Amino acid sequence: MKKITLSSVTAGTMLAALALAPAKAEAQSASISATATVATALNVNNVRDLGFGTVIPGFNRTILATDATSGHFQIVGGANAEVAVSFSSLPGVLTGPGADLALSLTANHNVTDAAGVGTGFVPAGGVTTRLDTSTGELHVYMGGTLIVPAGQVAGLYSGTITLDAAYTGN
Amino acid sequence: MRRAIGGLFGVALAVALSAGTGLAQGRPLSGFGRQDLTFGPLIPGIATTVSRLDAANAGQFELRGTRFAEVQLELTLPAALVETGGASLPLLFSAGDGGYSTDPDIASAQSFDPRVPLITTLSNNGRCYIFLGGTAVPGGQQRAGTYSATITVTFSYTGV
Repeated sequence: MKKITLSSVTAGTMLAALALAPAKAEAQSASISATATVATALNVNNVRDLGFGTVIPGFNRTILATDATSGHFQIVGGANAEVAVSFSSLPGVLTGPGADLALSLTANHNVTDAAGVGTGFVPAGGVTTRLDTSTGELHVYMGGTLIVPAGQVAGLYSGTITLDAAYTGN
Repeated sequence: MRRAIGGLFGVALAVALSAGTGLAQGRPLSGFGRQDLTFGPLIPGIATTVSRLDAANAGQFELRGTRFAEVQLELTLPAALVETGGASLPLLFSAGDGGYSTDPDIASAQSFDPRVPLITTLSNNGRCYIFLGGTAVPGGQQRAGTYSATITVTFSYTGV
């Protein structure tokens, strides 16, 4: 009698414990996605040269960034990506058949093509800004002032402005 | 003999009563994804890391089961994201990219290595939260487009 009673309690306790403890069951699973969007490579296009036109010796000439003959670069890349814009070639003079012509440059930038209207920046310092959130574009407009001394030798004077753009990763 | 039968009947009754209690405490283990691991826009040639503490971008799972139960979980981590056209973009996971917590607050999660199985204990309300960061490494000529992959967590009670 005593033996039977002990056996019942032991078995009952063990089974009860099994019911209370979480059983080691078949493994379950759940999933999520990992996603990324790779931006297009950065491209820079020369839309328009900066043209001072015909100048008269003794009369300086200024072209505003909003003028029709301002220089115009178009940068296209990943939407809303941050880019660093700088100039690897920023001439201080135009060269030609006579003495060099002193040149100072100005610049505006805008995420839309706004006929030169935009945020001004000092070309020598460059600018870090973001491309348009939908088109991925950035427009840079170049103006400048050309100093033309009296007696300047007639002819074609020129220089090259080279814009560099790079993603910052931000 | 009759006494022996009576003893067995008593055991069966005890099990039936305990089973009623066990249903309340022995919840089936379940889990679901709370948030994708999102690297956002990537620039070719520039690696981007999402921290396991990044509430907006870290991957997140939630497990639910019996309170205080011990569970083992293992993450299946893809080696790369894949673009619909077939291009792949390498992914890296390191020792500190996993986080786990009994609280949904990502900042309170403890670090773990997501590349190896983890054994932990569910909270007093039967919860465990898993957080995952990682690094995407696009090549310099990485093709533009949308890339994705699936991350799976597999989990089970250890029986403890």
